[in-house]
Amino acid sequence: MTSTIDARPEPAEPSGAPDRRRPRVAPWVALGLAVVLVGFVALLYTRKGADSTVAPSPLIGKPAPEVTGPGLDGSTVRLSAYQGRYVLLNFFASWCVPCRNEHDDLLKFTARHQAAGDAQVLAVIFDDDPATVRTWFQKNGGTWPVIEDPNGKVSLDFGVRGPPESFLIAPDGTVLTRIIGEVDANVLESLVAQAKKLGAGS
Amino acid sequence: MNAVLGQGGVLLSLLAAAAGVITLAVGLVRRRPLLLDAATRYVWLVLIGALVAVAGMERALLTDDFSLKYVADHSARSTPLLFKIATMWGALEGSILLWGLVLSLYLVAMVLRFRDRTRDPLFGWALLTAFAVAVFFFGLMARGAPADPFALVSGRIPADGPGPNPLLQNHPLMAFHPPMLYLGYVGFTVPFAFAVGALVTGRLGEGWLVETRRWTLLAWGFLSIGIVLGAWWSYEVLGWGGFWAWDPVENASFLPWLTATAYLHSVMVQERRGMLRVWNLSLLLATFSLTILGTFFTRSGVLDSVHAFTRSPIGPWILTFFAVVVLTVVGLIGWRGDQLRSPGSIDSPVSREGAFLANNVLFAAFAFVVLLGTVFPLLVEAANGDRITVGRPYFDRMTTPLGIALLFLMAVAPVLPWRKASGELLSTRLVWPAAAGTAALVLSVLLGARGLAPLIAFGLAGFAGGSAVRQLVLATRRQGWHGLIGRANGGMIVHLGIIVIAVAFAASQAYGKRAEVRLTPGQSATVFGHRITYEGFDSKTYPNRSAIEAKVRVDGGATYRPALSTYPFFTQAIGTPSVDTGVTEDVYLTLVSASSDPKAPVVIGVNIQPLVAWLWIGGGFVAIGTLMAMVPGRRRRPTAPVSAPVPGADDDVPEPRQAVSIGGGG
Repeated sequence: MTSTIDARPEPAEPSGAPDRRRPRVAPWVALGLAVVLVGFVALLYTRKGADSTVAPSPLIGKPAPEVTGPGLDGSTVRLSAYQGRYVLLNFFASWCVPCRNEHDDLLKFTARHQAAGDAQVLAVIFDDDPATVRTWFQKNGGTWPVIEDPNGKVSLDFGVRGPPESFLIAPDGTVLTRIIGEVDANVLESLVAQAKKLGAGS
Repeated sequence: MNAVLGQGGVLLSLLAAAAGVITLAVGLVRRRPLLLDAATRYVWLVLIGALVAVAGMERALLTDDFSLKYVADHSARSTPLLFKIATMWGALEGSILLWGLVLSLYLVAMVLRFRDRTRDPLFGWALLTAFAVAVFFFGLMARGAPADPFALVSGRIPADGPGPNPLLQNHPLMAFHPPMLYLGYVGFTVPFAFAVGALVTGRLGEGWLVETRRWTLLAWGFLSIGIVLGAWWSYEVLGWGGFWAWDPVENASFLPWLTATAYLHSVMVQERRGMLRVWNLSLLLATFSLTILGTFFTRSGVLDSVHAFTRSPIGPWILTFFAVVVLTVVGLIGWRGDQLRSPGSIDSPVSREGAFLANNVLFAAFAFVVLLGTVFPLLVEAANGDRITVGRPYFDRMTTPLGIALLFLMAVAPVLPWRKASGELLSTRLVWPAAAGTAALVLSVLLGARGLAPLIAFGLAGFAGGSAVRQLVLATRRQGWHGLIGRANGGMIVHLGIIVIAVAFAASQAYGKRAEVRLTPGQSATVFGHRITYEGFDSKTYPNRSAIEAKVRVDGGATYRPALSTYPFFTQAIGTPSVDTGVTEDVYLTLVSASSDPKAPVVIGVNIQPLVAWLWIGGGFVAIGTLMAMVPGRRRRPTAPVSAPVPGADDDVPEPRQAVSIGGGG
């Protein structure tokens, strides 16, 4: 314990004259810390953002309200026609940035379930012009049915405040989960797997 | 009009802060004292700008100016007055505005407090740092920047808005919790700025530290109050019967609290013995960095949380700022760290400084555990793409032993003398606290408390409470009411508050019970020994919502009204709990489901939460204790801290003198 007397509150210390008996360790410690922190910041930078928040809804555990409406292709789309599959009812608008972000995840989800035919995405337009949405889908891909919902009735039935919002519906038509914000393909997978394991609504 | 006012205010603050940075930089580098004087005047411009911007925002909210996107998105004509005012901090952009206002207040306070030392380079660098922080936050709000609160709606101006999130317009605490939290959060900028100033100038003695300790204490007190109010709000509003869920955003407020608490303890070792300087400085720097990191967690939507504001482009900005801050301070420490190394060392682990060291190890471990739990989902996702959540079990398991160890330290540390304690001295000083601990343990067993962890907690709480009371009794016996003020005595009041909170926390975690009963009007049920009678419901319409309020009589006494409210624009019904608050337990009622038929049965959730009221009372103790600790004690503070062992001085100080010196600022 070498004791340099340093009792004055504001000593005018001669800078840059470290005690010789002590090796300079601070720069090395600082360097190590800096490396760790840079790694940490890089990690945070690359995270996509867990915006999908599973949220409560009075509909959960209850039969989903019937959804019918004109599809973008002119046919009539009905939710009940998809009984027997898990349905992800996705409220969408082309002006909504997170909706664009989650589009790849929806494509991935659709591709994974195409062969088995056990899950299906249904989009509902939230306050957007069908023509714009049609062009948008042509440009970005996605072959799932899109319901126009011109009066916003479906959004009201489901209590949707703003896109993106999604509801996972069981094969028997029971609402399982409400997701506010962007969906994530991996989270959707685990939600479906979990529902299958519990045998919910099948 | 409001937008112009607001944007003008933000711009004024931004320019003034930037001018402050430049003026100080030139003044410091070229050594022009006149410039250093001049720079202090810019704080007033920053404040005026912030006030004008806040006025613009409040005016827009109060006059329903829906041409502002912020107002159109987050307010409504029918929103009650209090919540219109509070909507300013109810969403992202406005909360940054509140941040800016609080920061400018702290800037002015800094200049007023140190007005005699404006030419001191250390103060100059500190002020420069604080100005730089202000540049960042006002820059975030500048026109077109990601958190511009005064952006206009594009297209047609709506006639009405959706109103604030229903959860934010349903309890008056919403008006108080965020400002308190921000006063704490932002307040850490001041000690941070002084730490940077000390590092840059290389004047690493204790002088600046004595000056800023009270600032840290002030910020810490506000943060503590803010956290307790937040817990209270979530208890009164969210309806799940709990008050703390280890949610990422709760953790974000808790992390700087932990490091600041560690600092407030270890700074005494530095003042007294000149040790732990690098460590103390690091704690201050870490505290500020953690507030920025917490802001990033809250605002970027990178973590799942009930509080998270929706994702906005602000995330990368805050993260960049965080990176700049941490790399700067790490660089500064690397540069100056070796000059900071302390001359002394700890003589004996059984001493006051040994206890403070243990305290710091525990708080650091606590902070690490909480930080790890908060970011662990991100680490896992980066590693293998899985989305996981770290829930309560992790936090409960990891923090319980730390909490218990801290309670033990709280019991023993206040009676330990500096340097070295003899066994004999300890046994005399610990008699009464130990007796109090045993009594608390026996009493809790007699009252039916079971379970290892809660019993240990109650026993140690008694022990720690005994120590704190002993200290206060000794001090007041000697100094009268003066024995309640000053750092050590105020600190003991804070300890009592924390002990009360710990007991209430342990009890409600261990013995809280929940059940649901289905009742038709007029029917009763007995739940956990309480007779719950449902007497029908009222349908009410308020300007901003319509509600079904159940009338529930508890134990034949007063009627409580748990409710389900529906807000226009929000289809989801919001439950409002109603709480029969008691000294020993709360009966917490929620209306789980109801139909519109008055004769139909309803489901009522009944939560029994022991001792919850004591959480808020404990919070009050913490607030009072902090205030007492801010008042200077009777003894003037030591100008020259003892840093080297003086021969003959390291014998144990006799009890009375010791207590007096603790009673001061020593």
